[in-house]
Amino acid sequence: MLIRLVLARLLWSVPILFGVSVVAFVLMRALPGDFAQAAAGTTEISAEALDTMRRQLGLDQPVWAQYLRWLTDALQGDLGRSFATKAPVLDELVPRLLVTAELSLIAGAMAMGIGVCGGLASARLRGRADWVVRVFNGLFLAIPNFVVATLIVLTAGLYFPSVGIFNYVPFAQDPLANLGSMVLPAFSLALAVSVTISENTRAAILEVASQDFVMVARAKGLRRGAILVHYLIRNALTPVITVIGLQLATLLGGSILIETIFTIPGMGQYLFDSISNRDYPVIQAIVLVTAAIVLFVNVLVDVAYARVDARVRYD
Amino acid sequence: MTELAPAEEAAAAAPAVPTRRRPRGAVLLGIGLVMLALMLAITLLGPVVAPHDATRTSPDSLAGPSAAHWLGTDSIGRDVLSRLIIGGRTTLFITFVAVALAVVCGLVLGLSSGYLGGWVDQVVMRALDIVFAFPVFLLAIAVVAALGPSVPNLVLTIAIVYTPTLARVVRGPVLSIKRWDHVEAARSVGVSEFAIATRHVLPLVLSPILVQTSLTLAQTIFTVTALSFLGIGPPPPNPNWGSMLSEARQFMELAPLTVIGPAVAITYATMTFIVLANGLREFLDVGHR
Repeated sequence: MLIRLVLARLLWSVPILFGVSVVAFVLMRALPGDFAQAAAGTTEISAEALDTMRRQLGLDQPVWAQYLRWLTDALQGDLGRSFATKAPVLDELVPRLLVTAELSLIAGAMAMGIGVCGGLASARLRGRADWVVRVFNGLFLAIPNFVVATLIVLTAGLYFPSVGIFNYVPFAQDPLANLGSMVLPAFSLALAVSVTISENTRAAILEVASQDFVMVARAKGLRRGAILVHYLIRNALTPVITVIGLQLATLLGGSILIETIFTIPGMGQYLFDSISNRDYPVIQAIVLVTAAIVLFVNVLVDVAYARVDARVRYD
Repeated sequence: MTELAPAEEAAAAAPAVPTRRRPRGAVLLGIGLVMLALMLAITLLGPVVAPHDATRTSPDSLAGPSAAHWLGTDSIGRDVLSRLIIGGRTTLFITFVAVALAVVCGLVLGLSSGYLGGWVDQVVMRALDIVFAFPVFLLAIAVVAALGPSVPNLVLTIAIVYTPTLARVVRGPVLSIKRWDHVEAARSVGVSEFAIATRHVLPLVLSPILVQTSLTLAQTIFTVTALSFLGIGPPPPNPNWGSMLSEARQFMELAPLTVIGPAVAITYATMTFIVLANGLREFLDVGHR
């Protein structure tokens, strides 16, 4: 059952991924300026050399043929070579992607921790706790993550000059220091996402708590803790999982911003370097890979949904 | 039971007279509208209320707050407050025009897709699925990179990025409203399909659109300022909040207000639209999550 579900969802995302690849391709071909000239990396190039370059890149062929060639290469794991470094894009992309993924995952975990705790507190304690959590949520929803990051950098610079903000340490070199250098960036990324999770947790818990089976559980004398864990949290988890899945796209997009502020060598910096170098194969690859990840995570969310909530069945 | 005072007696005797209850969300909506009015007034009056020329430099750089420069000056001696006011014009102009465009596109797509159904619906929804597969911000960066950073291109980018959400918000209710009796009645007396869609279906989806528009405005403030922050926003010399924040980072320990100013402005604008959206949602009683 579960395997069929996974397969069906994966199949469903194939045509979407296909559309995504068309968008990524068209976007980069629609650019003003000469593709071959950008590939050469200089404007001082003879006409003959430019012609040779066009032929090498297949630019003399019709657009659909170019697309097919790019797509078949991409399907075989060949995303082309970077114009700037001439190295295969995939080799450059993977290590950076891992850094961005690490940042997003840590931020996601933080957001879930903060959000679920906040939502639980405001739903179960009510009164003042509810009020405090909601005011915090309102505030953090309104402050964009790059503003939070900038203010964190400012505060550290003003009051804690000894804290190294821009000391990124690669994971392979020192895992612990690496995690340490990720804390502040991940935190600035997590705040806004935690608000959505907190509000959804609160709404879900309140909804579940008002249902009959919870009253029955209370009436037959189940301990509060047991009710909370076995009835409330499990049932409230479904909407929360969906939200976390949906927020992954936000986290990935946000990482790009936060990385540039904290000078973390992830996909964001890679993207910016390639935009300023007009390194089109790299931009294309980043767009394609990120969309593929988002689609894949959506499949995972659907599956997790079915695992947690026995009522959900896809046919 | 003790004797009732006259007023209480009257109240007890006539419980049927309803006291005019304030509609839900009215307070929130009111706060949102006041915040919006304040922001619009300052922005529209920009050149009049700005104490200095926003682009004029002076040797008095990175000065602290003073009577002449309430928020101090930036690294090349420009007045921070004036730049905030003028910068708001650029940021808010792009935001409003882009969201207006997205709302129009979303309405047309959502209404035609939901109302016509069939293959139109299939095509539109699959196309939107493709756009949904991209993280909004990444898509925005890629489109701006492809088109080149300029005000019209930013407007276009934002519109492309946010149209799908609005189209979905329109399509959902349209799917059920088109089966309602009054639509059938209109059709039976020969009202054209176009008139039914625009005059008998569209007005009923205006509330969710209004709420979503306000939310989209908040998100757009984020996207526009973030793109400007990354240096692919509206080109200089006109200031905007995102690039002000970004430029100020270099000397922020020396003049914290150059960072705090735009940070507060961006947060204020975002909060305005979030408060407005929540107020509208409760006031218009749009489906609670």
